[in-house]
Amino acid sequence: MSLTHLNARGEAHMVDVADKPESRRESSASGRIQMHPDTLALLAEGGLPKGDVLATARIAGIQAAKRTHELIPLCHALALSKVVIDFTLDEAASCVEVRATCRLNGRTGVEMEALTAVSVACLTLYDMCKAVDKEMEIGAIHLDTKTGGKSGDYRREGAAAAAEPVVRAVDGPIVTGEGQAGQVALGSRCDIAAPCVRVKCLAELRERLGVGDVSMPLGDLERTDVAGLKAALKTLDPRFSRLDEGRVLCAVNQVMASDSTPLTDDDEVAFFPPVTGG
Amino acid sequence: MIRVQQAPFDAGAEQQALLAGRTDIGAVVCFTGLVRDFNETPEVTALTLEHYPGMTESALEAIVVEAEARWPLDGVRVIHRVGRLAPGDPIVLVAVASAHRRAAFEACDFIMDYLKTRAPFWKKEHATGGDYWVAERDSDHADASRWEA
Repeated sequence: MSLTHLNARGEAHMVDVADKPESRRESSASGRIQMHPDTLALLAEGGLPKGDVLATARIAGIQAAKRTHELIPLCHALALSKVVIDFTLDEAASCVEVRATCRLNGRTGVEMEALTAVSVACLTLYDMCKAVDKEMEIGAIHLDTKTGGKSGDYRREGAAAAAEPVVRAVDGPIVTGEGQAGQVALGSRCDIAAPCVRVKCLAELRERLGVGDVSMPLGDLERTDVAGLKAALKTLDPRFSRLDEGRVLCAVNQVMASDSTPLTDDDEVAFFPPVTGG
Repeated sequence: MIRVQQAPFDAGAEQQALLAGRTDIGAVVCFTGLVRDFNETPEVTALTLEHYPGMTESALEAIVVEAEARWPLDGVRVIHRVGRLAPGDPIVLVAVASAHRRAAFEACDFIMDYLKTRAPFWKKEHATGGDYWVAERDSDHADASRWEA
């Protein structure tokens, strides 16, 4: 084991991640702020002088996750695809549990973003409640889970198991991106034994959905056409409901298609936004 | 001839290649599109072009075939770049040769209009205020619809 933020001379340096493959990264962190039972009761009722405490702390946590690179010297600026902040009011222990989950498809992990989100959400809770309670104590901030990337998955002992992702993470950038070869990896045949179609989401749609490639067994389609595929994708993962947002075009085996275009085994179906070349 | 590539191109060399050994061509129109430093936001610092390999080439081929059916052409070259480009960089080349100028002008115009609305390229602009995907433009669709009979 070595410290990746130190170079051969032991000096701090930012790790060059340009050659790392992109993968789906997700981290969850949690922490708690202990407070007087009366403060917790006021918070729950919304009776604190600064107003909606939890909504403010949630926004603060999200903003903090996005600005982690400005706070932690050797962190990269990341385009997070998702930040979720959850609060649990624990009356028995007289504290608020704060949990943050950050996600992106990228080359570097998001555990610092999740930890920063929890820390700043806790600090904001302190700020919002300090008028009535100065003895609050922030603590137990730790990483719960981390998935994706070369170092493998991590789960803190005792951390609640996260739901298994239904959609495979993007193994690498499938289309032209910065520093990449400018090619879609047209992909292998279906990696499922049963007859299936290979689905690709391109460009802005891929980033909006956080999904690049997914294989869908034909047997899961009520109707074996593009409309049936869309319905099955939405059942598979709620992110695909965004296929209905704005204008989304479809090509089957690289020919423009419509909802009624029939599908057969090993077809390549691409969804993408309106084109903007030239 | 259709090419999708990351490397820059030389419009002059491409035009010469189109005309090489020919004395029956009376007109050549060569359009080069460049990356602007302003578009959806005022300070665009770079552009990343994504495409759908395979479909991109066949879509461009179909557009050229349609142009050749509409006008008597003696040669067409379409080159579109992908990957990261900087303001001022050439991004697309359409060179059309014909016996007479009207066919060359119109076919070049037609190919660009159809390329912008039918070929699977997507632009992501990198600007001082952040990165964003470029939205489609109604004016491009209006331009393309001029050619529909």
